[in-house]
Amino acid sequence: MKMLKILPFLVCILLVSQVHAQKGEVKMNLQYNYALPIGSFKNDVISNGSARGVTGDILYNLSDKFSLGLGLGFQDFYQKYPRALYKTGDQETTSAVLSNSVQVMPVLAKAEFYPLGGKKSLIQPYINAGAGLGVVSFAQYLGEFGGTDNSASLMLQGGAGIIVPFGSVSKSGFRLGANYNMVSYKRNGFNNFNNIGFQAGLFFPLK
Amino acid sequence: MKNKQLMIAVFAFCTAVFFGCTKEPMNNLNPEETRIYVTNSDSTVNFGAYKTYSISDSVVVLNNGSAYKDLTTVDQAYIDAVNKYMQQRGYQLVNKNSNPDLGINVNRIYNTATGYFGYSDYWDYYGGYWDPYYWGYGGYDYYVPSSYGIYQITQGAVSIDMLDLKDAGSKDKIDIIWNGLVRGEGIFDSSTADASVKALFDQSTNLQSN
Repeated sequence: MKMLKILPFLVCILLVSQVHAQKGEVKMNLQYNYALPIGSFKNDVISNGSARGVTGDILYNLSDKFSLGLGLGFQDFYQKYPRALYKTGDQETTSAVLSNSVQVMPVLAKAEFYPLGGKKSLIQPYINAGAGLGVVSFAQYLGEFGGTDNSASLMLQGGAGIIVPFGSVSKSGFRLGANYNMVSYKRNGFNNFNNIGFQAGLFFPLK
Repeated sequence: MKNKQLMIAVFAFCTAVFFGCTKEPMNNLNPEETRIYVTNSDSTVNFGAYKTYSISDSVVVLNNGSAYKDLTTVDQAYIDAVNKYMQQRGYQLVNKNSNPDLGINVNRIYNTATGYFGYSDYWDYYGGYWDPYYWGYGGYDYYVPSSYGIYQITQGAVSIDMLDLKDAGSKDKIDIIWNGLVRGEGIFDSSTADASVKALFDQSTNLQSN
């Protein structure tokens, strides 16, 4: 009931909200990230989604509609498969519990575009893209026997979402979005650690 | 400004928490899950053609190049388990002087890796940990001889070898036609021996006497 009473008030505030993405401003995005493996990553390595992720961007506003900067993050994927038989040699069979653990740390140059930048809007949509390195740590164990491979390779990212400012003239607010992460990993018979990320977090100016 | 610092602190905290919450595979395995059971089987061999077997009455312990025979309760548990599952597969246990078709050896294997670590970091701040004043010699320095520490890591395995004695005379050699290997936590415990040997036989469906 209380929620119903304050709803018109909230709507009024949001209707006149405007994200002030002024030229020269530096802002930060901090987001929680949930990631779902896709493709061969899902089929061959880890099928479970990962609820252990965070992203952070530092972006410089080139204009009301466009910003450039650095994107960092961390995502931990893990899955333990029940005991099964694996062919480990011509005439060799191994019964083991298989554990796969993948950590991806993106270091990306990012660009973000706001189609409604500078206009009064309840919700400000955005699209973004990133390119850079995906620092990957991949551990695979049969039982307690295995090892870790660390590497860095090409990572591309594309995403979209919305930002909602806290107030009518606020330079801070909420962000919601999703992105596609292409993480190349062509080693030991694997192809990639591609995944889709879903983010929720905050943005705020740094200066 | 305080809000920014707070948010950055929150981000740093979250990052630390997420790194800390990384699922470490080794911490998510129980002892049974750490074990692996490896079998090597000669695909050209018809195991149905063998009827009898004999098994050694002790095990060979291979310890970093040295070898000796031993028979602990754990060893006996493995021998008993091999007998149990061989007979379930239709093979008949006979005395080794009764010309068995198959011979079975059980082995305990240890490999010890040795390394060293320097103590220099430890000594560098020794005066900080133990102020010489405590011993009545305030202002003195400690003299630290060069030193190093040795550590050793021992890994173990149990292996079971099946020998073709039936054809040894005609081939002038003894072929090892099947081998099972058990590695992981708790394998040198008599309570796990039966389950370990069962696992080896379960994945070797071709081990069956006609």
